[in-house]
Amino acid sequence: MATVTTLPITLSPAPQGWSKPSPSKPSAPTQLPVYPAGPSFISAARRQILQRSFEEDDKHVHSAREAAAAAQQSEGDGQLYPGLGEEEEPHHVLQQDPKEWKKQDHYAVLGLGHLRYKASEEHIRIAHRRKVLRHHPDKKAAQSGANDDAFFKCIQKAHEVLTHPERRRQFDSVDWNIEDEVPDLKKYSPEQFVAECNKIFAREGRFSKTQPVPEFGPLDAPKKDVEGFYDFFYNFDSWRSFEWHDKEVNEGSDSRDDKRYTEKKNKSERTRRKKEDNTRLRELVDTVLALDPRIKRIKAEEKAARDAKKKGGVPNGGAAKPLTPAEKKKAEEQKKKEEAEKKEAEKKANEASKADREAAKKAKEAARKNLKKWKKAIATVIASSNYFQPEGTSPSPAVIEKQLAELDSLVDILEPEEVKDLKEKIDKAGNGEPAKAALVEKVKAAGEKGEGKFTEFA
Amino acid sequence: MSLDGSWLRHPTCIANEEGERQIACAISYAGEQVYIGNGAKPHLVKNGKNTIMGFRNLLGHTYDEVDHTAILTAPLIPESKTPAYTVDILLPAPKPASNPRSAAASGAATPNPAALEPIPSTKTITVPEVTSLFLSTLLTSATDFLGVKPTACVVSAPTWFTPAQTDALREAAEAAGIHVIQVLDEAAAVLVGYRAGNAGEEEKGDKRVVVLDMGETSLGVSVVQVSQGEYTVLAKGRDDKLGGREFDNLLLKHFAKEFTKKTKVPLDLPCGENASAADKRADAKLVLAVEHTKRSLSASSGAATCAVESLKDGMDLSSSINRLRFDGLASGVYRQVGAKLTEIVQSAGLDLAQIDEVLLAGASTLFPGLQQHLSLLVPPTTPVTAAIDPSQVIAIGCALQALHLSTLEDGLKVEDVLATAKQTAEVTSAPIGIVLPGQDSEELAAIVVDSGAPLPVRRRVAIPVSSAGKFGFELWEGKHEVKVEKVERPPIEKDEEDEEEDEDEEEEDEEIKTAITKKVKALDGVSVEAKGEGKILLEVIVQRGGGLEVKAWQEGHEDSADKFEA
Repeated sequence: MATVTTLPITLSPAPQGWSKPSPSKPSAPTQLPVYPAGPSFISAARRQILQRSFEEDDKHVHSAREAAAAAQQSEGDGQLYPGLGEEEEPHHVLQQDPKEWKKQDHYAVLGLGHLRYKASEEHIRIAHRRKVLRHHPDKKAAQSGANDDAFFKCIQKAHEVLTHPERRRQFDSVDWNIEDEVPDLKKYSPEQFVAECNKIFAREGRFSKTQPVPEFGPLDAPKKDVEGFYDFFYNFDSWRSFEWHDKEVNEGSDSRDDKRYTEKKNKSERTRRKKEDNTRLRELVDTVLALDPRIKRIKAEEKAARDAKKKGGVPNGGAAKPLTPAEKKKAEEQKKKEEAEKKEAEKKANEASKADREAAKKAKEAARKNLKKWKKAIATVIASSNYFQPEGTSPSPAVIEKQLAELDSLVDILEPEEVKDLKEKIDKAGNGEPAKAALVEKVKAAGEKGEGKFTEFA
Repeated sequence: MSLDGSWLRHPTCIANEEGERQIACAISYAGEQVYIGNGAKPHLVKNGKNTIMGFRNLLGHTYDEVDHTAILTAPLIPESKTPAYTVDILLPAPKPASNPRSAAASGAATPNPAALEPIPSTKTITVPEVTSLFLSTLLTSATDFLGVKPTACVVSAPTWFTPAQTDALREAAEAAGIHVIQVLDEAAAVLVGYRAGNAGEEEKGDKRVVVLDMGETSLGVSVVQVSQGEYTVLAKGRDDKLGGREFDNLLLKHFAKEFTKKTKVPLDLPCGENASAADKRADAKLVLAVEHTKRSLSASSGAATCAVESLKDGMDLSSSINRLRFDGLASGVYRQVGAKLTEIVQSAGLDLAQIDEVLLAGASTLFPGLQQHLSLLVPPTTPVTAAIDPSQVIAIGCALQALHLSTLEDGLKVEDVLATAKQTAEVTSAPIGIVLPGQDSEELAAIVVDSGAPLPVRRRVAIPVSSAGKFGFELWEGKHEVKVEKVERPPIEKDEEDEEEDEDEEEEDEEIKTAITKKVKALDGVSVEAKGEGKILLEVIVQRGGGLEVKAWQEGHEDSADKFEA
């Protein structure tokens, strides 16, 4: 912007006979370094980059300033929102008891009854200021000499609640002044139904954590929008909560148990109400979905489309060129043949694999059944070999126990087939050392699985 | 070195986690620990060879270019390109080999204690690496304070940095993870820092300003023509020997003398290279103590104390100094500063009388004695400004510059704006002013466009008129000069005894210097028909290349303007 400095000189009219001096060229400029810093440098750079003359730049800066000033103006409350907070104040609002703040309609107190959850922070701030100016106790005392600050307290409480985001949310959750009645939708004509549903879901949508909420939409809404709407409301994520209905914990009471009990009660009550609310909404959506004339329309349309497709006959959209009857026949035969071949092959493969699987299964089951038998047989062999102790000495109970335990774990490790194999080998080898040798061999074959487990048969 | 973000309309200098706003450029390696900032300074006493200071001034230099006598800290090692320091460090001990089996095998035997000892080692760290390390701690402090990581910054560099050094600083900062929007000249940062006003608002008026930046190690003086907020550098200079260190040395000398007087222990400080170890230690101890004394001297008018336990030979020092005494000690340094100031102003072809303001920056200019000395040098109408804490003004200037650059309008890009800055720019060579008709004066009645204004430049002035009629005035090119008036001292009534002493003074007449602008060359004239009382507006635009456009009209009657071009 051009800044005008007033020079400290005064001008007197030019004397008679004064004429302008003969013009001459000013001296050529010189080169000096200039610091690239400060707002003036930026302004100069702006003029250079955007190739603006001083005058053009002035205009731009001027308009930008004006826009900024206008923005500033709209921020101040001045004449903004005329009538805000100046709703009529009914008698019951003015006469309410500030102690009963839980039952107080905070929006009505601030004169925001028409806006409610839609009121912005700005609205609340301005409405509060206007209410305070009107109802300040000092003012009342001066006017009527009355010393009544009850309504002022109500105003302060309302402001306190509504400017605290969490508490405002709690109040909005249970705002009993917003009707949540759902009329009997069955009686309505399709037009009425859509109008009513739009109203209902605009209202319900305020609880959504994700905004914006899709509209219910007009009667002729496309399939995509309708499905989107129901998707949204079936996955509705609500911020509604019911702390407002909490029973006050008796602050005076010292009983911790008492407090805890109340808190617990409150908590369960809140969850119950929340659940109830979710069910309510779900049922509402169910009802609406069932009655929605648009769904019927869409279904009918889809059916029509399917029918049309069927009638069209050609699955790939009728685009294929018609074939001669002979060709058709040939093609059909070919197709049939191919299909039959395919089916046959599949059937065969199926049968084979099925048989295999069943046999394997049977074998396994049998093996499992026999496992105990084989184990017992092996144990008998071990026992009759005197637990591989030298002749004449009776084996100590510890040794017996250990050997039997190891046998158990060996059987666990080995596959049933291997156990069978082991039993047969032991049978063949006979009692005594050969049996032990067979056992040791199996243990070795078990390899890593049995590492460290066997001492007797190692 | 200062780093600052612009998170407020009115930036303040933030403190680091230890509450310090001035952070020493020091890094000390002590065993496994690394101390950065003010915490590293005390290590200069006992761990001097592992402490790095003054690394910024080495940025962008090669090993050969560095003045090695000036380095008192960790030694530089000869390397082909970038100078590097070597320091002794202790590497953290390697973890004991963790093999549970072998541990089980060795049973309850304790691991070899020697295996846990840290390993002595040496570390080589180049100057850019040190700078990055230092800057990243500043960045961490700023992040902790703000709660968010600064996305970009403006870094200041000394006036005398070469482009190579500036680039090295930028690279080091980028390596520390900071996006550098601009490396700003310290003098420019001071100018931006001192100017009040909101973002986007331009400064009014023309003035000639001296920026005097006295830091720890050097003195920088820049003479700048401020032309409605654009800063044209008329001259700049530097004295790399004159700095806060001089004051330190004076105090060291003073306190060492005091110490010797009191304790009879000989101590001569500041000590040279071949002083004894005890002297060197005493030097380092006293340097730290004197730092504190210096601060209290600047801060309060009372006596400042200095106390060091076991300065030398187990004797303590406890002394104090007041401002008067200190100013007496430092008058020599003050004079040197004044002389440097005069010298640089004269190198711009100017006289101190033509300076409109002196801006102070750097912590060493905080001494009231120095400020007083400077204000006596310049005319009484010229203020010596230290309105913003001189130790913080550079940082504040950087923050403001970052703010200006981050709030660009009209879709301008920072890079484009900075790209318009060139090494030098066209500026007006002579002042253009008004000469009133019928006045027989040597001087211009008023200056409209001063010399040194970057082109294109536009000025709009208003001249009040009191009646209707035809008004005219001429536009002349002028020349800045200094008028010297010799004023004879008014004879003072005095006693006879004093007469002899006063005679010397009487011989010299007092010189009063005033800046004037003589008229040199008439450019043209304008005449305006005023329709009544009001203001006559005059617009002068000097385009790039020196083309002149002049327009004059009475306020509200712009259509009937008288104009000419030259």
